Amino acid sequence: MSMKKPLFIVMTGDGINCERETAFAIELGGGAARVMHVNDLLETPEVLKEADGFAIPGGFSFGDELGSGQIMALKIRHKLGEAFFALVERQGPVIGICNGFQVLVKLGLLPYPARRDERLLALAPNAGGGFIDRWAALEVQKDSVCQWTQGLEKSTIELPIRHGEGRIAFLQGGEDEIYRQLKAEGLIPLTYAEDVNGSHGRIAALCDPTGMVLGMMPHPEAFVFGETYRQTGEAAPVKGDGLLLFENIINIMNGRETQNARRAG
Amino acid sequence: MSETAVRVEVRDNTQGKQLEKWTRAANDFLGVPLQRLEEVKVYKVATQGRMKDAPALLGGIFVDPVLQSAAFSHANDAEAGEKPGFIAEISYRPGVTDNPARAAQEALALTGVTATVASGSLYFFYGDIDAAGARKIAGELLANELIQKIDVWSHDDFLKNDRFDKVSLPRAVFSHPVEVEAVSLELDDGALALLSKERFLALTVEELHHIRDYYRREDIRAAREKLGLPPAAPTDVEIEIFAQTWSEHCKHKIFAAKIDYTGPEGEKREIDSLYKSYIKKATTDIKAARKLDWLISVFSDNAGIVRFDGKVDLCIKVETHNSPSALDPYGGALTGILGVNRDILGCGLGARPIANTDVFCFAPPDMPRGEEAELMPQGPKPPRRILDGVHKGVEDGGNKSGIPTVNGAFFFDRDYAGKPLVFVGTAGVMPPVLPDGRPSSEKKLSAGDRIVVIGGAVGADGIHGATFSSLELDENAPATAVQIGDPLTQKRVLDFLMEARDAGLYSAITDNGAGGLSSSIGEMAQMSGGASLDLALCPVKYPGLSPWELMVSESQERMSLAVPPEKLAGFMELAARRGVSACDLGAFDASGLLTVLYKGKIVASLDLAFLHDSLPQMQLRAVWNGPKPRARWSENTALREGRMPAPEKAGPALLALLSSPNITSKEKWVRAYDHEVQAATHLKPFTGKAADGPSDAGVVWLYPHGGEKENGVAIGCGLAPRLSPVDPLRMAQCAVDEAVRNVVASGGDPDTLCLLDNFCWPDPVESAKNPDGAYKLGQLVRACQGLYDICTAYGAPLVSGKDSMKNDFRGKDARGQDIVVSVLPTLMVTAMAKVHMGSVAGSAFRAPDDLIYILGANMAQGLAGSEFAAIYKAEDDLGPAISPERNIRLYRLLHKAMRAGLLRSVHDVSEGGMLVAVAEGMIGGRLGAALETAAGFDVLFNEAPGRFIVSVAPEKSADFETAMAGTEFSLLGRVTAAEKLALNEREEIPLQDIVTAWKKGF
Repeated sequence: MSMKKPLFIVMTGDGINCERETAFAIELGGGAARVMHVNDLLETPEVLKEADGFAIPGGFSFGDELGSGQIMALKIRHKLGEAFFALVERQGPVIGICNGFQVLVKLGLLPYPARRDERLLALAPNAGGGFIDRWAALEVQKDSVCQWTQGLEKSTIELPIRHGEGRIAFLQGGEDEIYRQLKAEGLIPLTYAEDVNGSHGRIAALCDPTGMVLGMMPHPEAFVFGETYRQTGEAAPVKGDGLLLFENIINIMNGRETQNARRAG
Repeated sequence: MSETAVRVEVRDNTQGKQLEKWTRAANDFLGVPLQRLEEVKVYKVATQGRMKDAPALLGGIFVDPVLQSAAFSHANDAEAGEKPGFIAEISYRPGVTDNPARAAQEALALTGVTATVASGSLYFFYGDIDAAGARKIAGELLANELIQKIDVWSHDDFLKNDRFDKVSLPRAVFSHPVEVEAVSLELDDGALALLSKERFLALTVEELHHIRDYYRREDIRAAREKLGLPPAAPTDVEIEIFAQTWSEHCKHKIFAAKIDYTGPEGEKREIDSLYKSYIKKATTDIKAARKLDWLISVFSDNAGIVRFDGKVDLCIKVETHNSPSALDPYGGALTGILGVNRDILGCGLGARPIANTDVFCFAPPDMPRGEEAELMPQGPKPPRRILDGVHKGVEDGGNKSGIPTVNGAFFFDRDYAGKPLVFVGTAGVMPPVLPDGRPSSEKKLSAGDRIVVIGGAVGADGIHGATFSSLELDENAPATAVQIGDPLTQKRVLDFLMEARDAGLYSAITDNGAGGLSSSIGEMAQMSGGASLDLALCPVKYPGLSPWELMVSESQERMSLAVPPEKLAGFMELAARRGVSACDLGAFDASGLLTVLYKGKIVASLDLAFLHDSLPQMQLRAVWNGPKPRARWSENTALREGRMPAPEKAGPALLALLSSPNITSKEKWVRAYDHEVQAATHLKPFTGKAADGPSDAGVVWLYPHGGEKENGVAIGCGLAPRLSPVDPLRMAQCAVDEAVRNVVASGGDPDTLCLLDNFCWPDPVESAKNPDGAYKLGQLVRACQGLYDICTAYGAPLVSGKDSMKNDFRGKDARGQDIVVSVLPTLMVTAMAKVHMGSVAGSAFRAPDDLIYILGANMAQGLAGSEFAAIYKAEDDLGPAISPERNIRLYRLLHKAMRAGLLRSVHDVSEGGMLVAVAEGMIGGRLGAALETAAGFDVLFNEAPGRFIVSVAPEKSADFETAMAGTEFSLLGRVTAAEKLALNEREEIPLQDIVTAWKKGF
């Protein structure tokens, strides 16, 4: 029995850089990916109805002017709006990577899509002051509700980070409370094993309460093959840790599909 | 409706690290006791009529509620607390590219507001400083007055000014009338020289005579009369077209010159073009001798194209952007990297950039030290400012374009204080054949194809870049030669072009670089035999530009294309959907003329053959009669570490070398570049256990780029300019050898080497003000001979190259005395080779007990040009002549051994010599080493070419030694778990000291 592969729309244009490798990673993870220019998406928002998932890849949308992710978030909110939010509401998986994470935060989709107008946190400039490309060990938080990291066998994964604005900062005055709440609700799926950018609680990724919307600063699409591991030679594994996240979410979607099919049957 | 403008000031709750750096720099470099600096971003938004509810609307766009607060009025000014001493506002000058503002306009448009925006910053200076100190900080650290305006206020004056009520935006206003004038050349030679200087034409009197003769021809005069052009004199548009087309930058007149050369033994030789005699000849000879079938396109296009893979072709190009980087380090470097990216976009029918490289030659970052300050040339930015600015430009250019910066180098020498060298390179991939069956390496336009220019609008920025870079630097550099790049616009152009190429929407493409439309259309017109375009159709940034300015402006992010008429509608439609500006300026034809109109009226009509092929060959004299001591200004021996360390200990010299700017870790700088975007970087700049050991080259895997799974490509570089004063021939050989070894050490197959040559030379044309020009040209001849020799011996073809010939500063030092500072004659070589995936070992030692070998000679050799000789007052002896044949044989065997999996690590021996290479392997592996070796400084620290440090697992050592039989190599010792370098059981240097020294940085 052949199953239809879950289809992800991978958004590009306006300075997004990582659409090709993100699409590649989704396909290797067992899904189907369609790279779409944001302007085409605005003209044909109905494709989102056919899509199962959505990815906002990394890059420098609008050159990071006025703050990273800011203008792309304005563009999605003002020009795409409900068509996009509807996909989130029906719990289609959404991933925002690096600049895509910043877009999700500025859209108010993280941590609570239901309270989009309430900004609790931001991705602020790194404590070190500038852009940094390095690899980071990430601790997988087993108590997280995140579907993308659900059931990962490894307790630590390695991925590269490549950003200048990746430090999680909470609304001033409410830091401890917000952090406790996110932790209690399992909305922190990945943390840095060591402090890399000054992020509050060493947070590397956030998800929404359904676990389907994931925003992360590290780049899972950059480590799907051993060939792009931080070391060459014997030290490199065959399969990259980043691929695990894509395989995971696609397995979950296929499972859902199977269940739905059974129910319908 | 009248225009109204609103001012928004945005303050970050937490001030960034950059402000702390500037504060330190103000104290350390400028001697201003600044205690603290704060920044507030400023946006001025002008709309027709009054904006409704401006604070709410603009707050939603400009302010992050979690991180920032905004002010729309003076209300916040009087807040209690510490008062700043002075405040500076920095804003862009009229007409300068303002990227935040342009993005803000797009953002406002998304919310339905049409507005004009200007951006800037306020800086608050705290501490006991005066107005002069504030001005100094603003002028030397925070702003560049060529492109930015600085206003400084005391705190009291600042509170009194009405900045929120009287908001005005900078507007470019041109006072000169938009018209075309005739430029008579019927002048005496003195007046012609003056004309050339005043118009920044960079044309010689002889060249102006040649043009004058054209306008004296009866047939030309008659034809011009019919067209309504001044019959006997060029229009300003025409003279500018000549100046651009014939600039050294575009025409490479020196490399094409006829040279009367006298060599070291007094032997005479006439050289008919260095380019034809050495550069092109090397490639032609190698191609024939080796029967190479993988050179798809060399020297004829924007970049060289080679085929190492069944599915994708590779192209590569390296450019320099020296003059612009001297004037505006950030903008110069940014436009440099974006410019070389466009070379790749315009290569063949367009390639996708997959890797950037960057090599900087600067004055040392801690210069000037002490009394040296008074010797510094006045005009060029201080070395540290150039380093910071150029680095940031390359960072933004690469990162924001999504192109990984995979390889590069920093080289420091005092002779780069007058002019920095900034080399920027890009490699790209293209399918051999496009979906419609056309080979992607071939441009083929026809008469009738439309002339379409895409990308940014035209402004006065970048006028005279080509001619300006063909002149030496002095204090009178035109401000318009400075440009700022716009990575976002270019990224949109890139994305659009890849789609348009695959859809077959155009027939030829080239980048708009130096010389603007004059060069791009002028060159493309040769394919059909003519072109006609109307400049009034160009989109402009602001009104008032004269036709000649439109013709030669180098405003960035633009590409010129030939679009078949039947494809035009589709092309334009796709461009519009991708947010890319495109305009149809005219058509290519077969008239034999380059015809330029302005609003339908002819303003230039030039015979294409005359324009491109008539320029008489330059005649030059060259002499190389042996080494010459370096210019006095760099002989400040007090600055050397001075005394030679005691000969029985290597440790102190090793640690001094490891921490010297040329060798120390550049990790902090390099990690600011994204070297992994596109998810294909196999060998990264830093490797090993703690990911901080230096790699020799970058390796990019081709599979994610559409290539075959087993293929990668290594890209490395080499240069040895300190050998130039001793012998430029050896300099060229060593530059090539280092580039080659860097890629071979990283898995590159020596049988697929391809090289790029970038010459940056001091003015080699003899004249009254340049009396040693013939010697500098002699150095160039000798370097070309060395280059030819080693390329042919290695069988490594040159696939692309570039030269930059006026790298001198002539002006005053800080005491007001006349000085000339010339760069070291510099050949930077880039090497690229195919990598068989799985064979890349890396430079880091991997396991205790592995055997350490040195491949190549381990013996006392000359220290000339070495870092050791630069630090200590050592003899500058040149070692024995190198044997390229022996080297390449070793490289081939090493490569075979690597593919057989016999190597644990491979690292080339370069700056600092053998012991530094061992130390770097130790740092990468965080392991020790025990060595038995001859131990004189001239053994341990000489930088003779042809050598590697490798480590081999004990069980593979026999196979390895067999594999390398017949080459020169010796066992040095072994890797140890003990964290130290043990030398001849006599001396121990702790690993921790080695790591600390190397990671000192700058």
